[in-house]
Amino acid sequence: MRVMIADDAVLFREGLAKVLQAAGIQVAAQVSDGEQLLDRVRADPPAAVVVDIRMPPTHTREGLEAAQRIRADHPQVGVLVLSQYVEPHHAVQLLQDGAGGVGYLLKDRVADVHEVVDAVRRVAAGGSVIDPEVVAQLVGRRRTRDPIQELSERERQVLALMAEGRSNQAIGERLFLSPKTVEAHVHSIFTRLGLHAAPDDHRRVLAVLAFLRA
Amino acid sequence: MSPRLRLALALVALAAGLVNLALALRVGDAGPRPLAYLLVAIVGVSWSFVAAGLLAWSRRPENRTGALMVAVGLAFALPGLRLIGTPLSTTLDLLLVTLPAAVLAHLIAVFPDGRATTRLQRVFLVANYATTVPLALVQLLLVDPGLLGCAECPDDLLGTGGPHPYGEAVVALSNLWQVVLAGLLLWIVVTRWRQAALPRRRSLAPVAQVAVVLLVLFIVRQTLRSAMSSLPPWIDVGLDLAVLTTLMLWPLGFLVGLARTRLDRSAVGDLAIELDQAWSPGRLEQALARVLHDPTVQLVYWLPDRQAFVDAAGRPVELPPEGGDRAVTVLRHDGDTAAALVHDAALGDEPELVQAVAATARLAIENQRLQAEVRAQLEEVRASRARIVAFGDAERRRVERNLHDGAQQRLVNLSLTLGIARSQPAAASDGELTAALDEAADELRLALAELRELARGIHPVILSEAGLGPALAALAERSPIPATVVAAPPDRLPARVEETAYYVASEALANAAKHAQATAVTISARRCDRGLVVEIGDDGAGGADANGSGLRGLADRVAAIDGRLEVRSPAGEGTWITAELPCGS
Repeated sequence: MRVMIADDAVLFREGLAKVLQAAGIQVAAQVSDGEQLLDRVRADPPAAVVVDIRMPPTHTREGLEAAQRIRADHPQVGVLVLSQYVEPHHAVQLLQDGAGGVGYLLKDRVADVHEVVDAVRRVAAGGSVIDPEVVAQLVGRRRTRDPIQELSERERQVLALMAEGRSNQAIGERLFLSPKTVEAHVHSIFTRLGLHAAPDDHRRVLAVLAFLRA
Repeated sequence: MSPRLRLALALVALAAGLVNLALALRVGDAGPRPLAYLLVAIVGVSWSFVAAGLLAWSRRPENRTGALMVAVGLAFALPGLRLIGTPLSTTLDLLLVTLPAAVLAHLIAVFPDGRATTRLQRVFLVANYATTVPLALVQLLLVDPGLLGCAECPDDLLGTGGPHPYGEAVVALSNLWQVVLAGLLLWIVVTRWRQAALPRRRSLAPVAQVAVVLLVLFIVRQTLRSAMSSLPPWIDVGLDLAVLTTLMLWPLGFLVGLARTRLDRSAVGDLAIELDQAWSPGRLEQALARVLHDPTVQLVYWLPDRQAFVDAAGRPVELPPEGGDRAVTVLRHDGDTAAALVHDAALGDEPELVQAVAATARLAIENQRLQAEVRAQLEEVRASRARIVAFGDAERRRVERNLHDGAQQRLVNLSLTLGIARSQPAAASDGELTAALDEAADELRLALAELRELARGIHPVILSEAGLGPALAALAERSPIPATVVAAPPDRLPARVEETAYYVASEALANAAKHAQATAVTISARRCDRGLVVEIGDDGAGGADANGSGLRGLADRVAAIDGRLEVRSPAGEGTWITAELPCGS
């Protein structure tokens, strides 16, 4: 699998490349801004790109814009956006644009090498990845009338993993549950929250996030 | 001019007039042109000019108008010469017969300055005097006195004694020249009237009107005399009488002008009464403009701190240069410059009026000056407060950026290195090492999380990057009590407005969480005509102290961008904090 990395912090970029290469992922390009990344993607689209959100020239949202361009022009390229802050606003913006293949992670996650490699593989495969911190913030949000409080502990765990973009199978592996049990939990959650069952994992993430942000 | 000289001139004029009257009585009604009757009117003209001239001379010694009027009056004592009946007197009479008209023309030409100021005036004065005596001399040499209206006069000393072939032509030429001069003078008077600003017209009006009537009458008379060889006596004498009557009115018109100044001075009394009422800066200026009859009057105040003049709003004002059509009268207070009146230069004719007005309005002006000074200082303080807030905001952005690119980035790099270390087979096989590395990773994660919170508190990046709507949503999502954003502008606003609105919302939310025991908060930010209205309401205990340091700080922050903060917090009914933030530049 080939990926490209865009980050103006050279040390981090090279460390990340090392981690990905160690996991058997080929790093096809390392660049320091969005324009260069777009050029390289256009020239030879990789399976996925990893982008820092704040890059030159303005150090605000160049990475996010590059990610959205790539999603629009090259839907087959997975995009993982890294940031030192995570904002639900950004997560929803990224998800809204396409049908999966996007991820939004705190940069801190690199402390667990497997988590980053897993996220890259998931977006490359068209899955969605949302940082647990975003989900935790939204699930933990105080509400006047809070239907989430009515969920069981286990259901809340399943809800959070759904929001992070995990498939039923992944949820089952994480929580040591059978696929049937996971399905039953998902069904129960959707009924209690008054949500319609989503046709795929990506749209399920969007629906859950939208519910949590409302 | 000394009173003694004034008395002497008055006596000379009186005596000359009396002699003229005595001569007229002696001659009685003699000849086709009854000079004797006309002499009564001529003496009236003489006395009225001398009297008015002496008055003007004493009031404005530096203006030559008074002296010129006395000269006109004395020149009008000369026609009596004709009635003395000796060859010498007749010679003098014929030589000087045009002098009264010449001096009068001089006076009209330079009124009211008393001196020639334009090229046209100077040309006229030269033409006027240079031709008067030579023309009279030519008439004396070539023309039979009968043609000059003096059939009964004895022969003069230089004359030819009988009719001369060129006599009539010379008389016609002389009349024509006088008509040309009168026309030129009429042109000067009308032009000056049209060019005069309002204050000058007031002093010019009575005299200019009389002068125009006089000149038109004169031109009609001379034209008729040239056109017709013999006029019916009633027209001839009637025209003379009309000219002389108008002439007598001239000093009267002048006195009316003077009286107007006096009336203006009494209007200063009305000004004093008006000043007693409540004053706005504009109305003081209007009142001064009314009393000075100059709608263009501008009152400016001296600010010693700035060493500059400012208007009532505290804005700097540039004074007009000297010598233009705008003049400046500096008003002093205890010897120090306090203010200045910028007015039409023509008001310089009435310095006493301007000074009287200034003295009357002194307290009001000083009051306005202090207000202008306070306004200027307020404006300065307001600008400096806005600068301080803008500087503070910029500084917070800079600190956040430094944290992001510095400490946070280094810790992230450290996380990465630690992650690589933990993934090494050597580490995985050593239980103790794994535990130590996991502990380090946990510590690092906590440190990064704390640093993130700190940076967000210093400056929320989402605000400058995505705008007020997403920033308020993030604020609500992280609020410790349930918070809902019910309205937020979809578009971007100026940074200082967004930052102030965010600051208001975040402080109000923190207050609600800390003090109000609220269970729900709503946040709304709506565009309005002037800018943005931010409102945060809670369902808590109410009774918030708007003068407490927290809300006071909010009000200050809002005022720094010219906004307004309102706090409604009735006990038991929740707290509503509303900020109106102007978006204009």
